[in-house]
Amino acid sequence: MVFQHGWRVCAFIALSLALWSGKVFAQTPEPTESSTVTPSITSSPVELKKLSLEQLMNLDVTSVAKEPQPYGQAPAAIVVLTNDAIRRSGASSIPEALQLADNLNVAQKDSHDWSISARGFNTDLSNKLLVLIDGRSVYSPLFSGVFWDAQDYLLEDIDRIEVISGPGGTLWGANAVNGVINITSKSAKETQGLYIEGGGGMEWSPELQDFEAIRYGGALGPDLFYRFYGKYDARGSEPLLTNGNAANDSWTNGQGGFRIDSITTGQHLTIQGDIYSNIESISTGGTAQKSGGNILERWTRTFDDDSNVSLQFYYDHTFINDPEPEAFLSTLAAAPPGIFTDRLDTIDLDFQHHFHLDDHNNFSWGFGYRYTDDLTGASPGLAFAPSPLLQNLYSLFAQDEIRLLSNVFLTAGSKVEHNDYTGYEYEPSGRLKWDVTENQMLWAAVSRAVRMPSEVDTNERGLTPLLNAFHITSSINGSPGFLSEVLVAYELGYRAQLDKNFSTSISTFFNNYTDIRSTGTTPGGALGILPFVFQNNLMAQTWGVELTTDYQVLDWWRLHAGYDQLNESVWVAPGQLDLNKGLNETADPPNQIFVRSSMDLPGHLELDPAFRWIDTFTYNNSGVPGTVPNYAELDVRLAWHASPNLELSVTGQNLLHPYHLEYVISSPAPTEAISRNVYGKVALRF
Amino acid sequence: MILSRRHFLTSMILAGFVLLGAGQSVSEEYQVKALFLFNFAQFVKWPSSDFSSANEPFRIGVLGENPFGTFLSETVKGESVEGHPLVVQHYDSPAAVKDCKILFVSDSEKEAIGQILAALKDRDVLTVGDTPDFLKEGGIIRFVPEGNKIHFRVGLDRANNLKFSISSKVLRLADPGKD
Repeated sequence: MVFQHGWRVCAFIALSLALWSGKVFAQTPEPTESSTVTPSITSSPVELKKLSLEQLMNLDVTSVAKEPQPYGQAPAAIVVLTNDAIRRSGASSIPEALQLADNLNVAQKDSHDWSISARGFNTDLSNKLLVLIDGRSVYSPLFSGVFWDAQDYLLEDIDRIEVISGPGGTLWGANAVNGVINITSKSAKETQGLYIEGGGGMEWSPELQDFEAIRYGGALGPDLFYRFYGKYDARGSEPLLTNGNAANDSWTNGQGGFRIDSITTGQHLTIQGDIYSNIESISTGGTAQKSGGNILERWTRTFDDDSNVSLQFYYDHTFINDPEPEAFLSTLAAAPPGIFTDRLDTIDLDFQHHFHLDDHNNFSWGFGYRYTDDLTGASPGLAFAPSPLLQNLYSLFAQDEIRLLSNVFLTAGSKVEHNDYTGYEYEPSGRLKWDVTENQMLWAAVSRAVRMPSEVDTNERGLTPLLNAFHITSSINGSPGFLSEVLVAYELGYRAQLDKNFSTSISTFFNNYTDIRSTGTTPGGALGILPFVFQNNLMAQTWGVELTTDYQVLDWWRLHAGYDQLNESVWVAPGQLDLNKGLNETADPPNQIFVRSSMDLPGHLELDPAFRWIDTFTYNNSGVPGTVPNYAELDVRLAWHASPNLELSVTGQNLLHPYHLEYVISSPAPTEAISRNVYGKVALRF
Repeated sequence: MILSRRHFLTSMILAGFVLLGAGQSVSEEYQVKALFLFNFAQFVKWPSSDFSSANEPFRIGVLGENPFGTFLSETVKGESVEGHPLVVQHYDSPAAVKDCKILFVSDSEKEAIGQILAALKDRDVLTVGDTPDFLKEGGIIRFVPEGNKIHFRVGLDRANNLKFSISSKVLRLADPGKD
């Protein structure tokens, strides 16, 4: 195989062989309690029986028979991606891993941008999803969405990703409107030892060119564990849709971090932090930078009666330096190109207390405070005023799970939040859970959730310095009076573990939205209409079904199928105006189908093909519907556990077409397609 | 070109199926559980009076369907505990169980787990299982999935009332969770 950066792969293979056969580590003393060895099941019984109890407990095992998990009982539409599922998918980034969640729509826009949403509204600046990494919110208050290219982690150390479709405002607060993505890393106790990975893409394969990562975890005492990691990715340009030529949007990302866990009976203290820096070529010219860091501390105390309190604090810093292309108003040049910058500092404090009030009441309450300091640096065509913007967000929630009958539970509660844009917001919900049998659950929920305004909605200025002579100072402005978008959601679901090998989940929903963002005019402004302004004149209803099924056919073979169906109806409030005719907030395939197979083959091989079919959908093409055609794609990963310490794999992504279209943005940037990609990887675990 | 690649992939996947039909393997899960059983044998001490002779085999019993294939017997082959050679014994019914020191109760027996464990209550057998109610029904050690790993829990009420002793190391490594 010819890898673009073949020497690195060769070096890794050479190193791994040296470590594996050359006894570099084989002569290490008998593992102590905090064993630094993480072998895997690939050897003969003769070898394997040398493993200590501690080592056995650290063995990663595929296809562990499922037993009812806590999430199995949660009355909500949840998909949980385990570390093993992510590893076996060959995903090389968090957005790629999220493609495994049937209840999400994941569309890649170009080399470094994704649009990800649940239950619709996957618009360019999609804004109805809350994303947390180890309890730290990563959505940008600039547009209430996520810069996915700035969210990374060593996937090997991610414990699980929970994807909840449907509102989660009662627990999670504003922005948990259409869904919540909860990314949880393993504790340092679970990541002891050395892990090294590296690899690269085929020469013709533009996406993932070259990557390497290292993690080391150790123990400082019987209850005190640490790890640190570093990783580097280099990704190439995606092709232009028109001719397949490279769009010049390659990028590199470096990230490093640490985590310390002190785990004693009843207490768990975590301190963790990360720093990262990206450099990205932009297809319209110039180089963007995204960098940042965070530090988080969480203390959880569990008492004998199973009640617990947790206190979490974090500080997060992000910096963006983004070259903006020349801006046009219709065909007139409105603003020259320039650099837009954004520096955001966030401080967040969160307290939660959970206890059994009596035999029938399981009570939770908590409060939170968030302070953000957002300093934007205007480009000629884009500004936010005021800057810096200093904001406070206070929240309080209470929730009670009431046992109505021995197998019927009602969970009722609300969050009350105060934000600086719209004041108080309420996010109540009621969830009814009926354990029909031990293995079957029916649930129903009614919830209210809000998306509070972002800076785009309220403070944006689309400056037009080149048109000042015509008294046009701005093309589009946010409205200080922009309201929160409000959702009232009705859900009904069924989940069952029909036998040990077969589980299924069906979730249905009907969502009623009011005050969705629209674009209006300024009567009496320049030319009688300018600047355009963001308003809340759209209403919407969506409804659909999410289906997911897992079948353990045989010990070595697991099948998964998922299907999503989504209907959206968006209209302009009577007597009001939207220049985009209700097209700008949605870009959602009405149907998605996922089929995956996971096989453990003889010879310590793993084969994991994953097929997806994404339906045709429409997007806003300047006030008329544009179309992204449906596509089918296939990813396949083949891995060989050459030894307990060494895993070699080849992953092919989007194999069915040289390149295909996943998303279109109405912008001066040429439309990009997503290419076929094949990469090889070497992973070493000691 | 695209078409031929599609065919190539399809045939690759099909090849996987065919390949698999031929192989019969013990799942990784039960390989690890077998290794745990082997380890438990070394961390649990029975009084020497429990053995009729110095070289009586130390039997690890498997009751019900055998999920270990030959993996467990290959693991214990040639091994011994204080001079007692380790052997694996399969039992079809609870009544057939005798003379074993460790008994793994297979998932196939889950309907009758309560009766089986009640019948074994006064015997000096370390009962190990993986059914959800295993400890509640009176079993001593239960395997529990912990993410992608296999951990185990110990039914402490039972474990404190035995004629044999379980090493503190096993107790310390056990998951603290309750069933």
